[in-house]
Amino acid sequence: MLRRTWALAAALTLLACVPSTALATQSVKLSAGFSPDRPGASTTISFGFQISAEHSQIPSPLTGIDLRYPADLGLGTSDLGLATCLPSSLQIFGPAGCPANSRMGYGSAFAEIPIGPVLVGEPASITLLAGPAQEGHLDFLVYALAEIPVYAQIIFSALLLPEPAPFGGRLHFDVPLVPSLPEAPDVAVVRLRTTLGSRGLTYYERVHGKTIAYRPNGILLPSSCPRGGFPFAANLSFQDGTHAHAATRVPCPGSPRGVRRHG
Amino acid sequence: MIDSRKRFARAVIAMLALLCVGVAIASAARALYVHDEGRLHYINSSGSLIREEGAATGTLAGRLQVHFLYDGSPTVTASFTISGNGWSLDGRGTGRLNNPNSPSPSFRGAMSITGGSGRYAHAHGSGEMFGVFYRRGHYALTVQTLGELHY
Repeated sequence: MLRRTWALAAALTLLACVPSTALATQSVKLSAGFSPDRPGASTTISFGFQISAEHSQIPSPLTGIDLRYPADLGLGTSDLGLATCLPSSLQIFGPAGCPANSRMGYGSAFAEIPIGPVLVGEPASITLLAGPAQEGHLDFLVYALAEIPVYAQIIFSALLLPEPAPFGGRLHFDVPLVPSLPEAPDVAVVRLRTTLGSRGLTYYERVHGKTIAYRPNGILLPSSCPRGGFPFAANLSFQDGTHAHAATRVPCPGSPRGVRRHG
Repeated sequence: MIDSRKRFARAVIAMLALLCVGVAIASAARALYVHDEGRLHYINSSGSLIREEGAATGTLAGRLQVHFLYDGSPTVTASFTISGNGWSLDGRGTGRLNNPNSPSPSFRGAMSITGGSGRYAHAHGSGEMFGVFYRRGHYALTVQTLGELHY
């Protein structure tokens, strides 16, 4: 009887440990879109990642994203991010501690935490804000808040860097590792989706001594669509040292095809 | 005696010839120190390219058209044309944008005159440009140029 109890305990211990640390090569699907998608319009860009691992295992925790966006998107000429959010204020007070005019987008993320043999999902909200420029480069702050089962407030930056054609630039995110529960691996993000644009934003300005609320214009699309659509590409880096690449195109308005996605 | 007179006469002729050539060169390559300002308003845009237009005041007064490109990197580029009565001047500039998160970031950089028409058909020159880009409202632009123009 005693021997059977020990065997059962050993089996349970193995069961609890093995799946949580068995990580595999990651693959990623990238999605992107504009709303509205008329040439020359002020738009909101949305982009998202779906990360998966081989054999339905848990992906390795994400450590970096390089998102390349098409040339001629008016990221610089937009009226988004008219104020700067200081990372110290964001750390202490959250997005409420930053000027409303520093907000640039919203989104969500979903992470998986292995607790023994069970995968527990953890949703998080994301707010994108304008951070202090770094040597003239625009810098976005990403604020992610997850509450249960692990409370985590994560702040990291996304620096806008130049990129050769057909891309107009690259957003480089350094994603910090997020500890989960004792004895469990770091949080593994499996889905992330966010907007960059005026949708859902309200800015304020002083006009003749009164504070007026308004909706910023957003990001200007070029007046003509590039042949084959607007290219997006992403490189994701993971804690286990592997990388995954994905690309997609936002089709030109009126194109009969939907958004093409490449894993 | 006669020889020395001849030598003197030749020297005078040579000096006069040199003087004439000098005057001709001076009149062919005129230089102008330019200090102009343009207060521009938005015409249209395409992505990161904004077209602006307005009046140029200063040394060369006229109508100023600017194509201003800012893609979010620290560098801004501008190409411009100033047009007056029977002439025009073309140029371009590259600058660095300061405080890009501000509603009105400022920029400063080098400017060069690349050509023109009319009396400035062979114009060239270089100088400095600086200005303010108003992101809030209708993307207005104020540009100042300082430089030397040869034509």
